Amino acid sequence: MTQSWFLAHATQFKVLRNVAVGCIHAVNIVCIFHLFKEHIGSPCLTDGPSMLPTFETTGEIAIESILSHRLAPYNLTRGELVSLRSPMKPNRIICKRIIGLPGDVVCVDPTGLKAPSREHVVVPKGHVWIAGDNAACSTDSRDYGPVSVGLIRGRIIARVCCLSMSVKIV
Amino acid sequence: MTITRSHALTRTLRVLYWLPLGIAFTHYGYTVKTVRGRSMQPTLNPDTSTWDDIVVFDRLGVHSGKPIARGDVVSLRDPVDSRKMIVKRVVAVADDFVQTLPPYPDAEVFVPEGHIWVEGDEPFRTLDSNTFGPVPLGLVDAKLSYIIWPLHRIGPLNHPEPPISKMGVPRDSHWRDAMAAFERERKRQSRITTTPAESDKTPVP
Repeated sequence: MTQSWFLAHATQFKVLRNVAVGCIHAVNIVCIFHLFKEHIGSPCLTDGPSMLPTFETTGEIAIESILSHRLAPYNLTRGELVSLRSPMKPNRIICKRIIGLPGDVVCVDPTGLKAPSREHVVVPKGHVWIAGDNAACSTDSRDYGPVSVGLIRGRIIARVCCLSMSVKIV
Repeated sequence: MTITRSHALTRTLRVLYWLPLGIAFTHYGYTVKTVRGRSMQPTLNPDTSTWDDIVVFDRLGVHSGKPIARGDVVSLRDPVDSRKMIVKRVVAVADDFVQTLPPYPDAEVFVPEGHIWVEGDEPFRTLDSNTFGPVPLGLVDAKLSYIIWPLHRIGPLNHPEPPISKMGVPRDSHWRDAMAAFERERKRQSRITTTPAESDKTPVP
């Protein structure tokens, strides 16, 4: 009885099985793209005014290299652009410039906006001092102090100009 | 001969093709790791066990945006050396005031937004927030949820709760361990001053 029922619906089961297998294949391909983006690097859209002369407020594409940071996490240099998880909002990824490396003495805010311009701090071990290029409109180490190297995701190695479709090294 | 070789090749290729699904599962779902070191004694790696504990790390709970609660045991990147992973207990979350322990310069500290205060269960052998201060949530990697080895301590890693004490239930070593864990947790929590959330505040008439 049950066997004949299964036989009668054999084609339907076959279609159902094919759909399920197709879904798993699709998920696998999404995983490939996602892992590539999270561990090797990808172009990403930037947003916000904090990096202004370097990146426009909207619609700029930066190329993020994550693998190079993973392989040598302490091989950072002053002046380099990095992407990192925001210390205040862990779901936000921000892009800033490295100002001070561990052991450096950094002036907290040379403009005197957020702290007196004569205040200096030593960047502790395993931390870096970061700042946005647009000091007037940026939340950075002046607000939350030095950030741990563990928060850094990757380096920003290039900027894609949308109109001329050319890649410029930052 | 050629047939077996091509068969082996297709099998390897199939494994390679499905590998991303497995890696993504360990990165965003669950993974199993061995915990070394003595900083979480006696919750993990107690002196009585001859093995290092093997624990299920729950990354889904961290990535799904569920807030991390006081009393959770989490693994996080060491803020001082980002290549190292450490396992600590969350003592305070954002907006709490913590009375610190000796190595910290200030007697009381406010945990800022997006940060947590972590401590080891064994205060003498741990490098924790009392040394490096509040830790950003972005460094948290996973929540430890289940001990799977050694076999005699197999079980979920819950928040310490007072053990059942009623007539007829013997007060054996398990009862005493659970009571001691609960007492330690109560002692830790007595150093925390919580600020009430906006929703909890009574409206001013």
